[in-house]
Order: sequence, then structure tokens, then C-alpha cells
Amino acid sequence: MKVDVVIDLCQGHARCQDRCPEVFGTDEIEGKCVILQPDVPAGLEQKARLAVRNCPEGALIILD
Amino acid sequence: MSSAHYAPGPADHVPPELVRDFDIFSLPAGVEDPIAHWAALVDGDTPPIFYTPRNGGHWVLLDYEHIREAYRDHARFSTYQTPVPPIEPYPVMQPQGVDPPEHKRFRSLLAPLFTPAAIARMENGIRRRARELIAPFAGRGRCDFVREFSAVLPTGMFLHLMGMPEERLAEFHALSDVFMRSNDEAVRAANIADIYAVIDDHLAWRATHPGDTDLASVLLGARDEHGQPFPHQDLLNCGFLLFVAGLDTVTSTMTCIWRFLATDETARHHLRASLANRERLSAATEELLRINAVANLYRRVQQDLAFHGVRMRRNDRVVLPNSIANRNARVFANPTTIDLEREVNTHMTFGVGPHRCIGAHLAKAEIMVSLQEWLARIPDFRLEPGVRIEAYTGPVMGMRNLPLRWSNS
Repeated sequence: MKVDVVIDLCQGHARCQDRCPEVFGTDEIEGKCVILQPDVPAGLEQKARLAVRNCPEGALIILD
Repeated sequence: MSSAHYAPGPADHVPPELVRDFDIFSLPAGVEDPIAHWAALVDGDTPPIFYTPRNGGHWVLLDYEHIREAYRDHARFSTYQTPVPPIEPYPVMQPQGVDPPEHKRFRSLLAPLFTPAAIARMENGIRRRARELIAPFAGRGRCDFVREFSAVLPTGMFLHLMGMPEERLAEFHALSDVFMRSNDEAVRAANIADIYAVIDDHLAWRATHPGDTDLASVLLGARDEHGQPFPHQDLLNCGFLLFVAGLDTVTSTMTCIWRFLATDETARHHLRASLANRERLSAATEELLRINAVANLYRRVQQDLAFHGVRMRRNDRVVLPNSIANRNARVFANPTTIDLEREVNTHMTFGVGPHRCIGAHLAKAEIMVSLQEWLARIPDFRLEPGVRIEAYTGPVMGMRNLPLRWSNS
């Protein structure tokens, strides 16, 4: 499972980082999403999927 | 700017079936829960897009997707000159009162101070303040939550951020109270001038006593793309926004949350069991934020348009109640159930789009740290029986008092 962010849609809610900090981080300038692990490690798929679904901007995508 | 340039026109384009009599500044006598009062709008026959003649006349959107759309489409729904009731000229708050992409100038200046990483560095300070506030009353077995905690903690953090003297906290609170709660034009005009004077004095003092990290010093030290300082009026407008946005919203949110916790033993138990687990506490806090969304935001229609079949005219005001978006059954499973383990929670408590609340992470940190510190010292508490809670509504909803009681064993 791969994840990505449409950075123009991201507004820095950081809900992805709250839900799955192993995969999603935020930068120090705008506080926008930084994908730490584009290839989601085994065992974190469910957490990463929930993080994607919790984005209020719909800025995250799952690439299977 | 002509004085009536952004005034809404007559409402002769509004069909009678879309009109409801709803005053966003007033609550019926005896109502203690302003959010429930708004939520009742969706239970009856109120159209999802309705118009109220009160406060100069304005639209209210009730549907999650409509509210979301209005937040994200600044070509149609501007944040420039939006007050309800309309008064002009209204402070052009920086960056909140400026549409994208121009809002970026000040948004970019402020953003690094409000990233999750920057807020994480403030957590120890928040914790120290929370402990200091709780210590004097924990053994007393009662307190007024607003006066002794929720009005003090976020305001203190804001003053600290701005590098302002904390002994003026009560004075500043009175100013922001009038700003959020008055719909009297003369009172509001005087109040706006008073707030500007406070900001102007503070900037003048900081200009000769620069600090390293406070917002006033950051604003004064900022340079534009030509290496020039920003116009003084823009700095004032930015200080104005931080003042009115920072002093009131977290206080109101916390008060609503603690009122709920005082009445719900299961929720207190869940939170006590989650205090050391950041991901669990974070998800629970998001749910408390979803159900206690205190802000009703304003937008101004940019040009005559049809919005989901409803004709709106240039300068019509539109009110976006986040709390109602957050109770939409198509978006949230069992929307009126407070589920502290809710899996999918795309609430709009902090808005969405380019103007998403810049202080969101600070607000959430203040609430999470307060939950940790409070529940560690005061694990169980309830409402003081027989004391009336005085609620208010408007652009920010909340309560002026919240008497709490617990056994001080």
C-alpha cells in the first residue's frame, strides 16, 4: 500500500499525523503534510487508511 | 471606500419560504446550551439554506457540504468585510479578512509559529500554567471553571505569545467579550477603536523592547519581498485578529467541553484511561471538539450568484455554523452520539480551506494538556446544583460561568 498527499489541498490540519505518526508528519514552515513512509509498512495499513479517511480536506490518497 | 460599499442590499430576492426568524445573538430565556439551541434548527422544517432578517439580514447554511464549499470558494464567498450586523469600515484582519492568494503574506509570517512542531515546544509552558491554575482550588472541592480556569489559561498563553503583560488579562478579556457579544453598532465601533489602541501601544512598546519569539516582535521584524517592513496598519490588523481570535474561542470551547464532562461519567472514565496514550487522547479530543464547535463564521457573497438553487446577491452575508456541519448524519455515523473512539471524524470545528484556523493546534494542545492535568487532580466532578449557567451566542458561543463541584477527599 502506498500513500500520497495532494499538497495544494492540504491545509495543515495534521489529522493524519495525529492518527498515524509513523507514516505522516508535518513540516516546520507551513505545518503541511509530509509523507514519511510512502510505502506503508506491513501492519500499519489499517492505521494509515484511517488517517487518510480523517483528512478534512480530502488531500490524502491511497495508491494500491 | 464608500461607506456603503459592502452593505447588503434589501432582501427582495429572498423567497418567503426561505425566511426564518433567527437571531444569532440571542438565546431564549433559560437556555444553558447554546450549541443545542442552534442544533435544533435542523430538527424542524428549516430549509438547509435559510435567510433571517435579524442583524441586518443574512443567510445561514446548515448542510455540511454547503458549508465546506463556502469555506473553500473565496471567489464566491469572501472573508473581506463580513461583519454581522454590517458595520463599515470593518477591520481588515490580517490574514483572516483577506482572500487567497493575498492572505498568504501574513499567513506565511504566522504559520511557522503555529505548526504542530512549534506548538509541541509550548506544551511544557501550557502544562505549568494549567497546574498553577488548578492547585489553588483542587482541594476546595469547587470552582467556577470559567473565572478560575478556562478564561485564564488560553488568555495567558495568548498574552505570552504576543509578549503582552499578563496583569492586563481581565481588561483584555472585557474588550474581547464586547467584540464577540455586542450587536450594538456604536458600542462595537468604540470597542474596535479600544482594541486597536491596545495593539498600537503594544507594538510601540515592542518596537523599543524587541523580543526574540513573541508574535509582536516577529511582526515588527518581518520584511516584505523588497526588504521593507510591512505597513503599520497591516501589523495592527494582524494584532487585532490575534487578539479577538485568541482570547475567546478556546475559553468557550473548554467551557462547553467541561460542562459535558461534568454530566457524563463514562466519558470521564474513558478520558482518565486515555491520558497517557497520545493517540487515544487525541482522537477523544477531536470528538470533544466536533461536538463542541463554538464558532459561527461569516462570509460575504462576492457577486450575484445561485448557490444550490438559491439566489444570493453581492454583499449578502452568509453565516457558517460549524457545530451544525459537525452533526450531519450523512458524514458522521450516529452524529449526536459522543463517541470518544470515533474512527472517522472530519469535523469542521476549525473550518477548512485556506483560512483554516491557524491556532487549531494550539487550541487542541491547551485542551489535551488541560484534560491531563485536570483529570489527574480532579478525576470526578459535577455541575454545582441550583446555580444557573449563563450562556451566550453569536460568532462564538459559550457560557459566562460554569460552577463545578467535586469531593475533595
